[in-house]
Amino acid sequence: MTILTVALKYLRGRFVASALTAVSLTLGVSLVMASVLLARGIKEGFTEGTTDYSLVVGAKGSPTQLVLNVVFRMDVPTPNILYGTYRQLRDDPRVEVAVPVALGDAYQGFRFVATTGAYFAGFPWRRKVFEVSGGRLFRDDVPGQPTYEAVLGAEAARRTGLRIGDRFYEGEELAEYPLTVVGILRSTVSADDRAIFFSLASFWEMNEVSRKMKIKPLTAILVRAKRMSDLPSLHRGFNISTETQAVFPSAVLLGIFNLLSLAEEVLTVIVAAVAIVVLLYLFVSLYSATLERKREIATMRALGASRATILGIVLLESCVLASVGGAVGILGGHGVVYLGASLLAARSGLVMNVFRISALEPVVFGGVILLGALAGLLPAVLAYRTDVTENLAPLS
Amino acid sequence: MQRLPAALTACLWLACLNLGGSAHGEEVPRLTFAQLVDSLRANFDVTQTIKSYSGREVEIQGFIIPAGPPDLSFFLLSRVSAMGNYCCEVPVGQDETVYVYATKGVKILYDPLRIYRVRGAFEAGPHTDRTYGVSLFRVRNARVEEAVGAKIFKVGETTAPAPNK
Repeated sequence: MTILTVALKYLRGRFVASALTAVSLTLGVSLVMASVLLARGIKEGFTEGTTDYSLVVGAKGSPTQLVLNVVFRMDVPTPNILYGTYRQLRDDPRVEVAVPVALGDAYQGFRFVATTGAYFAGFPWRRKVFEVSGGRLFRDDVPGQPTYEAVLGAEAARRTGLRIGDRFYEGEELAEYPLTVVGILRSTVSADDRAIFFSLASFWEMNEVSRKMKIKPLTAILVRAKRMSDLPSLHRGFNISTETQAVFPSAVLLGIFNLLSLAEEVLTVIVAAVAIVVLLYLFVSLYSATLERKREIATMRALGASRATILGIVLLESCVLASVGGAVGILGGHGVVYLGASLLAARSGLVMNVFRISALEPVVFGGVILLGALAGLLPAVLAYRTDVTENLAPLS
Repeated sequence: MQRLPAALTACLWLACLNLGGSAHGEEVPRLTFAQLVDSLRANFDVTQTIKSYSGREVEIQGFIIPAGPPDLSFFLLSRVSAMGNYCCEVPVGQDETVYVYATKGVKILYDPLRIYRVRGAFEAGPHTDRTYGVSLFRVRNARVEEAVGAKIFKVGETTAPAPNK
């Protein structure tokens, strides 16, 4: 019989206490994993889902609202800007590409994004690639002659069940202007997967306010400068105006990351406190178990077990509990993050890759075993020092 | 008590080593935006003095303009902050902007109104990057940290440190 078998038998012998200890370890590790993975996932989701355009031009207001709405389809759209701003940018010699975007309304919660074909165009500097998995992109129709053709993001198509050729609308007001699905995009692992795209001409005709406007409205313009060094002057030009603002999307995201890192610091303190409580629980559980079986330990010693064997058995018990708690806790943490990521993806445009395995998992697993062994060290030493004659004396 | 002189000697040695380290750190030449602007010649050419820094480790201080991805693997370093719609003059362009390619994992708290110290391999002269287009001045493999109390030198200011200092 190996010392591992003996350790496992001891754990089985006090099954309820062992199971409760393992559960508390699992919960602790799950909490640590979930908080670390969620914080990292949110940052990575923002970083990978952000736009390749360097500047977003919109109406005066909150830069955060502008970026979150235009890039991640969160929050409500900022007030409108005039189409003239787009023309001004399009004709600016410093600008390589300017893409007009109008946002508003949704179908089953999937936001409408009115834009031009330039939104999907590929450029050498562009990471994101738009490809249709079926059908084609909508036509850039002439203002006043809308075709109401729509292209669905991969997730929007999957969730709504719409297929190519289907006509759809939501709400009484839009019943007169049903959109027809002409294409479905491949997944881009970004907020665009949850969007429904169509032309600006269709958007303006669908909305009563814009229908009556001579100069049509937009929500924002995505800008890529020919030279990055022209961006500061472009940025300043729009920000000194009283009607528009220009925002670096990365500046807004870095501001969000700053806030996240503050939250992370608070969370680290909480997580550390939880880890200490869990380790103390493990220590108390093993310590009381050792006290309870001093007589058994003395018997084993009398039967020839060395002090090192006794020390090894108690340490192994601790390590086995830590391993089970660590492994299940890591899986549990991923489970919690999966639920959190699904919730975030369903309610916002933030897409997180929760199945990415990094160095974190082995480090956490190894750390839990190490700390578990540390928590079991004192009970193990207590068992090691158990006096045979004293503990084998008649109980009466 | 006999150990005291030995301990003192060890402390002195450590202090000397530390001073040596600082001195070595200061050997990295600092380039200013004033020097970069002055170096500009016709047809986007730059002076030999500035070109002589190419491939060498330099330090440049300025404001971060996050024109690239939010992980700051690329950003612009400018004499003028991206904020401040009233206080500062409008940035001019190429000559007052350095393209910074940072090493992975830039860990700073970004603040558009703070000055940052960038150290890395300097490159001068026109260069076209597939992703970020044409640039005049670049710093590659850059390390970034906040430069507390730093001053940004403008064109015509004579307080700029001389090259090679």
